[in-house]
Amino acid sequence: MRVRLMLLAPGVILLCGVVGCTKTNPRVVTTLNTGAMLGSELPSNPLQNRVITSWIDKNAGTMSTLYGNDTAVQYARTGAQSGYPAGSALSVVTWTQQEDPRWFGGNIPAAAKSVEYVTIAPDQHFTYQRYEGSPLKQVDEEAGVAPNERTAYLLAQRAAVMP
Amino acid sequence: MASAYGARVRAVLWIALVAGLVFVGLQFVRPTLTNPPVTAELQAPPEVRAVLRQSCYNCHSNETKLPWFDQVVPAYWLVNKDVKEARAHLNFSEIGKLPAAQQRGALFEAVNMIQMGAMPLPSYLRVHPGAAVSAENLKVLRDYLMPPTPAGATPAADTSAADAQYKGWITASGAPLKVQAEFNGVEFLPDYKNWKAISSTDRPDNHTMREILGNDVAIKAIAEHHINPWPDGTAFAKVAWAQQPDGKGAVQTGAFIQVELMIRDSRKYASTKGWGWGRWRGMDLKPYGKNADFTNECIGCHEPVRQNDYVYTMPLGGQQ
Ligand code: HEC
Ligand code: HEC
Repeated sequence: MRVRLMLLAPGVILLCGVVGCTKTNPRVVTTLNTGAMLGSELPSNPLQNRVITSWIDKNAGTMSTLYGNDTAVQYARTGAQSGYPAGSALSVVTWTQQEDPRWFGGNIPAAAKSVEYVTIAPDQHFTYQRYEGSPLKQVDEEAGVAPNERTAYLLAQRAAVMP
Repeated sequence: MASAYGARVRAVLWIALVAGLVFVGLQFVRPTLTNPPVTAELQAPPEVRAVLRQSCYNCHSNETKLPWFDQVVPAYWLVNKDVKEARAHLNFSEIGKLPAAQQRGALFEAVNMIQMGAMPLPSYLRVHPGAAVSAENLKVLRDYLMPPTPAGATPAADTSAADAQYKGWITASGAPLKVQAEFNGVEFLPDYKNWKAISSTDRPDNHTMREILGNDVAIKAIAEHHINPWPDGTAFAKVAWAQQPDGKGAVQTGAFIQVELMIRDSRKYASTKGWGWGRWRGMDLKPYGKNADFTNECIGCHEPVRQNDYVYTMPLGGQQ
């Protein structure tokens, strides 16, 4: 018995070393982050645009990314004019956070909490739309000349530095 | 008949005897494995050390205690190699001489390795099931590194450096920089900033935030769910900034730190797992490292996700 064990243990080590008896850990199975998907109820998909900047709300446990169309990104990254020019379209996605299953200490997007849209028209008119809930549904729609508080906040975010 | 049978028995006995002698003889072919003195043990509470002692010290310390079946060749050879390699990477008997932040960093990596099933080495665990890290023991490590945070906002950051950096960048207005290729020959791709976002990361532990961007090939692969392996031509950028707390609980994007690239070409980059790796730091985008060996750092840390084509990020669905 003792001798059998003695031979078995190194045998198993050798065999597994050679054959590599590994099973995939669920944390590293190849997958998309489907929980953070935005669904198809939205007027447009913010992810198709380019990143202007991002921020985190520690109290709310959320993370947001601000995206812009070409006009908006061009303005945000060069800042030549003072204020987003007509034709700018911005969108913000705010996600709740989850611990990154693959990196202890990191947080990544979980379910989307809200999606917001801001557009700037030629006469400096703005529109603001807000979607919330699961699935995301429109909860606010405003338009006017003087941006509301939230719109002003979004328009004031400066671009993240990307040399 | 009887004599033929006898001859066969004799032959088998001879073979067994020779094999036995070879086996015994091999036992004397033993690379030495000594326990050097413990010079600077990890600085951590006793309960944290106890967990590591139970599961990791046999390889990652100068207090290796091999059970009898590890002393038998050929098992001994394999364990011997593992211990030497493990000590070279991470030695809990000597790590105490490093700055506290670096010791903490090593423990963060340790938790990751455990959670992803990379450590203790799976081949070792099959023979030493007692070395597995139990859920309670894992919690001891996690709670030590990330104690439940008390409420209350972080004070506002000094923004002067980030402001100056932003001003310099915005006035340059996209004038192209001359950027050197990495030491491994991987070229910088200035268009990274126009790629689409596939995820973002908040790293409160080291006060950074990142956007993970993918080029068109990557976005198409995500839409078609062909993400393992990623098609040739795929490129990812990971852009990192300092977290800039505003004093009211929100954190803005602060100073730019670095951009990293992974570029897929299964033939050109066959020797580095099919990816071209590069990291450019600071506003002058200085290539990272001293020589091409810097890629070992990248690959080493991406190793736990090798079954995932070495990619950590779970891309946001719905890109198309
Ligand atoms: C059987 C020996 C063995 C045991 C037991 C073991 N390791 Fe390892 N470990 C290794 C080897 C060999 C390497 C280097 C090669 C590799 O990464 O696979 C390594 C590498 C590592 C690294 C990467 C270090 C770096 O900077 O590259 C970490 C972190 C780690 N081990 C943590 C642990 C922890 C935590 C435990 C206990 C829960 C543990 N290991 C148990 C053999 C072992
Ligand atoms: C200490 C561990 C570690 C090291 C070292 C490391 N990475 Fe990563 N890398 C990660 C993690 C974790 C992620 C997931 C995204 C995040 O956490 O922000 C990642 C993500 C990336 C991504 C985005 C694609 C993906 O895999 O998710 C790129 C590109 C990248 N790393 C490049 C590099 C390069 C180039 C190097 C070497 C110069 C490197 N990394 C070194 C841990 C590491």
